[in-house]
Amino acid sequence: MFGLMITALEQGLVFGIMALGVYITFKVLDFPDLTVDGSFPLGAAVASIIIFNNGNPLLALFFATVAGITAGCITGLLNTRAKITGLLSSILTMTALYSINLRIMGRANVTLLNSRTIFTYLEEWGVPHSWVFLALFTIAAFLIKSLLDCFLKTQIGFALRATGDNPEMARANGINTDTMKILGLSLSNGLVALSGALVAQYQGFADIGMGIGTIVAGLASVIIGEMMLGERSIGVATFASLMGSFIYRLSIGIALRLGFAATDLKLLTTILVIIALSTPKIRNLLRSTTSSAVSNGN
Amino acid sequence: MLELKGVTKIFNAGTVNENVVLRDINLKVDEGDFISIIGSNGAGKSTLLNVIAGVYAVDKGTILLDGRDITRMPEHERARFIGRVFQDPMKGTAPSMTIEENLAIAYCRSSRRTLKWGLNNKLREEFRQKLAETGLGLENRLNYKVKLLSGGQRQALTLIIATMVKPKLLLLDEHTAALDPSTARQINNLTEEIVLQKGITTLMITHNMEHAIKMGNRLIMMDKGQIILDIKGSDKASLTVNELVDMFEEAAHRKFDEDRVMLRVSNG
Repeated sequence: MFGLMITALEQGLVFGIMALGVYITFKVLDFPDLTVDGSFPLGAAVASIIIFNNGNPLLALFFATVAGITAGCITGLLNTRAKITGLLSSILTMTALYSINLRIMGRANVTLLNSRTIFTYLEEWGVPHSWVFLALFTIAAFLIKSLLDCFLKTQIGFALRATGDNPEMARANGINTDTMKILGLSLSNGLVALSGALVAQYQGFADIGMGIGTIVAGLASVIIGEMMLGERSIGVATFASLMGSFIYRLSIGIALRLGFAATDLKLLTTILVIIALSTPKIRNLLRSTTSSAVSNGN
Repeated sequence: MLELKGVTKIFNAGTVNENVVLRDINLKVDEGDFISIIGSNGAGKSTLLNVIAGVYAVDKGTILLDGRDITRMPEHERARFIGRVFQDPMKGTAPSMTIEENLAIAYCRSSRRTLKWGLNNKLREEFRQKLAETGLGLENRLNYKVKLLSGGQRQALTLIIATMVKPKLLLLDEHTAALDPSTARQINNLTEEIVLQKGITTLMITHNMEHAIKMGNRLIMMDKGQIILDIKGSDKASLTVNELVDMFEEAAHRKFDEDRVMLRVSNG
């Protein structure tokens, strides 16, 4: 049980960085962004190939993030400049990234088991092997969460939030909503790619198929977190995304223990997201039927 | 200060649904003018304001503001010097952001946004004072989310947002039409107070003839995409509803009839 919790914490935090990215597009910007299914493996691919060729793992993380930012930027440009709808723009980028990721890796997967990852370095600096993942992921996830909180409280952060909340009001107040969309998508996919780069080093390989379902897992995390903690403030909302990510990974761990095949998990996740997304509706439905039953009784 | 020259706007040009909404509009607005705009549905009033604000591009003509050609300037850039309040109270504010955050967004309207904090205590104090002046009791609810406010409170807030940084031009598109009569009166009073106190050049669309006559120093009537009446100065000051109806019939060459219903909903 302890092992299960630790694994869920490690995974929850490292995928939590991805969930924070999804939070930016899904909650702040109100933009349905499927780019993440491509930018997550993109980050993994870029980082892996650098590390595989004995590059510096910090540089690998940096370039992975930059690659993710570029991917988000392209989705943003497709949407705002080419006037393609948001969803389709992101699907286009995602699909293109499949080929690009294969090009970057040169094959369907890259193993890092014999390479010097960021964890190799940390262990050499004296971080004990059993804590190295948890230590780095905790610091990274909470550092990014705090930076994101701060950013969303700046003048530009306000502009980004207004763009998602009421674009008409944003434009009437001199905000270039196109620029804000591009900025939000870039930021989001940068985080998603960074998460992918860390996950590749964590699991010891990058795989062309590792991005499938990223958006659903991210949505599941954001929604679970929101149901548990609400969104009273930015700080609470971003913490909720990390928390939701942990709960999500824990449920997956439990499902595996219960004997579900790993290949069934996408189906389970999808069902989870459907239930979570429709819960408020179910609740409202129940409420309205009870209240109408009451008024009929009167 | 604002000048429209030969402005024409056609919707669905080249199709069977082609609709000339603005037909060769020429209008010169002087500094400090407070113009009320009336006209029946489909006269082109809202389109006129939207064209000035940059929501729609014009098909012909030029728009000058303080001598500068803004015809091709995008909406968000014009917003640096044009404030707007819409008919729908939902449109002018960001609902899931707080009152103070909404005001902070307005505060940055004409300057470049940076990575400085959007809010600080000095700003909060300034906002609190501004809200206290309106007498709506919002000054103690700075951190309330705007979606919790009533339609009237939202319109008042939108007015403050639109005039936070004094705009060169204020565009009010039937901003009291969705409110109940007493709230509408309150918002109208606030409008006059802000506009006159700050001396903001204003264009205000209204469906209410009495408001149109009572408020402002100039009255424009539109019909079928054209300005058919432009009354200012002492003529405007002594104007009555019946005179206005007569003038309409003479200018539009048709009876006022159906428009009368539209224009005289004047219980406010």
